[in-house]
Amino acid sequence: MEYLIVRFPRSRRVLVDDEFNGRTEDLIEIEAGRHVVSLGPPYNYTPKEQTIILKDTAELDPREVSFDLSSDA
Amino acid sequence: MICRLMPRWALVCLLFLALPGCAHYFVNVEKPAIQPVKEYRFNPEASGGNSNSLFICLAFSGGGTRAAALSYGVLEKLKDTRITWKGVEKSLLDEVDCISSISGGSFTAAYYGLFGERIFQDYRGRFLEADVQGSLFWSLFNPWNWVRLASPYFSRIDIAAEYYDEHIFEGKSFTALAETGRRPFVMLNATNLANGERFEFTQDQFDFLMSDLTSYPVARAVAASSAFPFLLSPITLKNYPHAHFQLPKDYELGLKDYPDNRRRYYWARNRAMYMDDAALPYVHLMDGGLADNIGLRPIEAAHQRSSGFIRKLFNQGEIEKFVLIVVNGHTLDKDTMSKDESPPGVGTVAPIIATVAMEHYSVETIEAVKDLRNARRKAQKNITACQKKLDQCPGSPQLPKFPTEIDPYVIEVDFEAISDPDRRNYFLSLPTSFALEKDQVQALINVGPQLLNESPEFLAFIESLRSQ
Repeated sequence: MEYLIVRFPRSRRVLVDDEFNGRTEDLIEIEAGRHVVSLGPPYNYTPKEQTIILKDTAELDPREVSFDLSSDA
Repeated sequence: MICRLMPRWALVCLLFLALPGCAHYFVNVEKPAIQPVKEYRFNPEASGGNSNSLFICLAFSGGGTRAAALSYGVLEKLKDTRITWKGVEKSLLDEVDCISSISGGSFTAAYYGLFGERIFQDYRGRFLEADVQGSLFWSLFNPWNWVRLASPYFSRIDIAAEYYDEHIFEGKSFTALAETGRRPFVMLNATNLANGERFEFTQDQFDFLMSDLTSYPVARAVAASSAFPFLLSPITLKNYPHAHFQLPKDYELGLKDYPDNRRRYYWARNRAMYMDDAALPYVHLMDGGLADNIGLRPIEAAHQRSSGFIRKLFNQGEIEKFVLIVVNGHTLDKDTMSKDESPPGVGTVAPIIATVAMEHYSVETIEAVKDLRNARRKAQKNITACQKKLDQCPGSPQLPKFPTEIDPYVIEVDFEAISDPDRRNYFLSLPTSFALEKDQVQALINVGPQLLNESPEFLAFIESLRSQ
């Protein structure tokens, strides 16, 4: 398995491949390969989604994906 | 007019000859434009005293009545095992969340899914101790069935499915399974003859046929799951046009994963192939054991895929203990052909090809699931150990953590674990059929609980519940 951590200034649910798969700041365990990461509502974040290829991560060295508050938030 | 001119006997003959054209297998229906209220999918909301925090899945292997009786004995043991979880006393069976099954194991899984604990009152008489094989055999001598079997759209498997429907499953469809609203979520597995891939009777799989599973008889799914090659014919499903089909994201991305995750790529490809409904207007299904004779692969997929119901609960921090009980009723076929110099004939080779393939990857699949368990345990240990070291330095950062620490168990129920060689050989030599003697059935029902009681992993799991 591979490891992912999603950063956002607020606590938010995380969608991986359109499915709820954990929360921001928690370690998320996902299989290797291509994934689309986004956040749950409200949609006050940017970018809207990020496509990543998960590989060669470790529980102590997860892939980090960050979202920012959108300017209209 | 015709009736007046024709003698009565000729009219009867004509009717007799015309009837075969009327006999047709049960056709799965097209998915309605409006999504039905009840669909047969895993419901992430636990109910009826079953929690997500203690998540138990069972895998029931194939192996005719032998496997069905072994899995029934395990269900009895789980019913009789009292636990206290989160301050509530209940039986371990109350906490079973999913069952994935193959062939003989599918009878027990489907019966428990439909009728719950009623299984402990009437299932033995209805199936385990019944001569189902004999009944199916004698039904072939019914002249009415000769007429129906003359139709190209009706075959032996349809007679078997009718028997199961009438005598075992009381005409229930997947609507009944969806409406119970309770767990376990039962996944009955067959094999697609076209590519040798497993085919599960869930709405997630039927979405790829643009078909609605709810009206489909459970008996036909069990018949497909147990359609042993050569003895029974395949079950056929219709693959409807995919005009408004939306490929789920996990599959869409999986199709691009050939370089990075070959397993995910083939998983996605094998489902996505149904989208070519012009090339594949029909799907022919046989015994689930041809693809996976222990029924673990659907659970493994639910555990691995980002859309998998187990994976999502893991990542949402809902599961604290994850228990997988693999009930493997396999046997060892005695090798007689290796003593003979002359090469075996087709009659010997054909059934061997069918059954050897069934067992080929069972051990590998179990070990792959154990690897997943070990990887999670190790990752959690590494984080805890490193954090402990870091905590010795003032102002050190907090390492990222999983939403919950999961305590995972993989428990095997397998005749190979019987220490007494004679007793072990007795079980490993039992035939694969739908007609066993009552004492054989009783021995199989008894051995499941004994194997659990002797399993170090099961004992460790029970001890972990006591020491909470």
